[in-house]
Amino acid sequence: MSVLDTNAENTWCPGCGNFAILNAVKKSVEKLGQAGVDPRRIVMTAGIGQHAKIFDYLSLSGFYGLHGRSMATAQGISFANPHLKVIDFGGDGDTFGEGLEHIVFAAKRNADITVLVHDNGVYALTTGQTAPTSERGFVGPSTPRGSAEDPLRPIPLMLEAGASFVARGFAGHVEHLADLIVQAIQHEGFALLDVLQPCVTFNNNWKELREKIEIIDATPEKKEDALAMAKREDKIPIGVIWREEKAPFLRSAYGNWNPVADAQSKQERRERLGSVIEKDD
Amino acid sequence: MQEEAFTFLVGGEAGQGVKKAGTAASVLFSRMGRAVFQMDDYQSLIRGGHNFSVVSTALDRISSHYMKSHLMVALDERSVQEHAEHLREGGLLIYNGDVYEDGSGDFPEGVGLPMTTLAREYPNPGMRVGVAAVAALCAAIHLPLQEMEDLFRSEYGKDFDNNLAYGKTVYEKTKEALPRRFPLKRGTVSSSLWSGNEAIAVGACAAGLNAYFAYPMTPASSILHCLANWDEELGLVVVQPESEVAVANMALGAASVGARTMVGTSGGGFALMTEAFSLAGMAETPFLVVLSSRPGPATGVPTYTEQGDLDFALSAGHGEFPRIVASPGSVEDAFRLAAELLDLVWTFQTPGILLTEKHLSESRMNATFDLESVPWVEPLLHRDGPYARYAASENGVSPLLFPPSDQCIKWNSYEHDERGITIEDPLWTVKMHDKRASKRDALIETLKEKETVQVFGEGEQILFTYGSTTSSVLEACRADGLDATVVQILYLEPFPVWELKQWRNRPVTVVEQSQMGQFVRLLKERGGLNVTSFVNQYDGRPFDPEALSARLKKEMGGRGAV
Repeated sequence: MSVLDTNAENTWCPGCGNFAILNAVKKSVEKLGQAGVDPRRIVMTAGIGQHAKIFDYLSLSGFYGLHGRSMATAQGISFANPHLKVIDFGGDGDTFGEGLEHIVFAAKRNADITVLVHDNGVYALTTGQTAPTSERGFVGPSTPRGSAEDPLRPIPLMLEAGASFVARGFAGHVEHLADLIVQAIQHEGFALLDVLQPCVTFNNNWKELREKIEIIDATPEKKEDALAMAKREDKIPIGVIWREEKAPFLRSAYGNWNPVADAQSKQERRERLGSVIEKDD
Repeated sequence: MQEEAFTFLVGGEAGQGVKKAGTAASVLFSRMGRAVFQMDDYQSLIRGGHNFSVVSTALDRISSHYMKSHLMVALDERSVQEHAEHLREGGLLIYNGDVYEDGSGDFPEGVGLPMTTLAREYPNPGMRVGVAAVAALCAAIHLPLQEMEDLFRSEYGKDFDNNLAYGKTVYEKTKEALPRRFPLKRGTVSSSLWSGNEAIAVGACAAGLNAYFAYPMTPASSILHCLANWDEELGLVVVQPESEVAVANMALGAASVGARTMVGTSGGGFALMTEAFSLAGMAETPFLVVLSSRPGPATGVPTYTEQGDLDFALSAGHGEFPRIVASPGSVEDAFRLAAELLDLVWTFQTPGILLTEKHLSESRMNATFDLESVPWVEPLLHRDGPYARYAASENGVSPLLFPPSDQCIKWNSYEHDERGITIEDPLWTVKMHDKRASKRDALIETLKEKETVQVFGEGEQILFTYGSTTSSVLEACRADGLDATVVQILYLEPFPVWELKQWRNRPVTVVEQSQMGQFVRLLKERGGLNVTSFVNQYDGRPFDPEALSARLKKEMGGRGAV
């Protein structure tokens, strides 16, 4: 029993990759604590899907949002109080289907949030339909003759969108994953962590993934090398694929202002507003 | 029309400075101590087309523009044609003679001035002719040149020397050519001019707004522009995200960590927000939406006005949850209601809508904002002991706590238990439904202490109205000395039935800007009122007070239920 546990009943399928992600998150919070990050400052959001049940299983504050929209909710939290470290848990349907606009723009504006994608290539909670990252030919209840679409590749997409931290993890390597989560949360600016996670019930690719996974030695220094690494098909590199220093959105726009912590008192606000409207009339 | 009232209409192409001329005229009348109402009519384009601005002014008060003008300035030929019927008897047309080949046109009641030719002495003549309209107005009302110079200094300060030189030439030419003048009395009105959208921004800021999220959409965009200009001074964060869906979900996230937020949009944008609106109901998140209507459905007539979104505001969002909907009739109402609604959504932790229309959002009128008269958001906060986000309480409202905290604070879109953990069992489902519903009961008790209905006059005829139509109706009464009782519903949800009992047994006329009579239905079904006649308009244009008063007179006496 960890301090991060809740008493909610866990309803993931036995052997689900989500357990590994949950464990990695708990480890990362502990590691972040050792590195001086107050766990009270770590806040989470979650979309809707099997993955999102992590919201109930982790004793962290946050907002269990709408399908596809929790990335926007996470950014709202970060813009209101930039002292908070926000981690958003999304499924591949959340992140690259329903809510694709939000992740592209979160990357574009370099919002200071971490998006951890439970990428299992299937809509599991709704009983196994094809998802944005499903391979062509994926057979599910909505595609009985196989999906006629090519999969979306999250890492190249995020590199092109301007994400300042892009990593891929694997649910089969918990320690490695915990380390990636620590780096993503410590990164100042937008971080995508795409976690390959087999679905034991609808898309059980444990064996294939284990064969192709390869831990990266070093993060590429050039964007084109990162892109090339992200597009490899012979192997699936995991680790930090891209990292760059870039001022996050709120700091670019408002410096060190914290709308919640620095909020004006009633008296100050009304005095300032009084002079603003005098000037404007 | 009111005695001592005067209307100035200026028309031209987009890009000629029509709206600017209207604004300058408003400032001029306001400096003369007169009450002002400015309505801008513009199309969804940036150059060309036909735009006009109507500025009506009176000595004491005025709450609408009048279409029939005393002085009309037409910068192009189309304006002459479009507004031929809008010249009041005894009124005067001044037109840009350059648009006619022989430089004259053929208007016995008109004066042609070579506005474009005169402007060619200066750079950008095409964009400068709007200045001529203001100079002609100054000459027509016999304003001393020095006052025109002061006006130009504040209103046409950019490239002031050229503008003033051009203005003076037009002023002199107008003086020579005018068959008569319109000397205007000075008054003692000292309040300044504001648009409804500016008033909403001021009201929300007075109540403690911290963050504003919006995607551009007419007619709500000027709230975004206004707050973006004030952000540094007032410590606001103003963000324009990728869509209204992002806007709404960001606002909820920001509120969940303590930021007083507001969002603004029109019908189409609000349609995209409705899932989040429902989320605010479930997660009990303070969420204030400014919904400024334009004619729909769909993209509709984007830069015009209508009250077609009442039913939508009252029902948007799936599932059952309490909401607050209020609609201002004037700029001062807009200021007060923006502050009140921000306070109420934080007091009751549920979504609210400030429902307005293009006509109020973008028209300018006199207002005084007493910043100390409106509430400051002070939500119920958790003090000590173990925390549960959705703890049971007598009125359904649970104390708030924000991270960072030792306690776990969970906001949840799923049905949940007291601590915000997802549940599916029937007992919790009922308990939480009841909790949210009890907030509505408490809200009603709070509203009973507030002004939810405003009554003007005490005449025999009973006129029910809401939103900006209220201002039109009041001016229609003033225009024609119509003796009526005007009842304005400020709060539309919870619907103030407790205020309506006294009107139940009397015939009622309803005035609204919708085709199907959404407000009529609300008054009949929820208010139990005997609606005997319905005066509506749905061409996208606001009511003209004189045309409206003529219609109201016809309705006098009632003709059976509608």
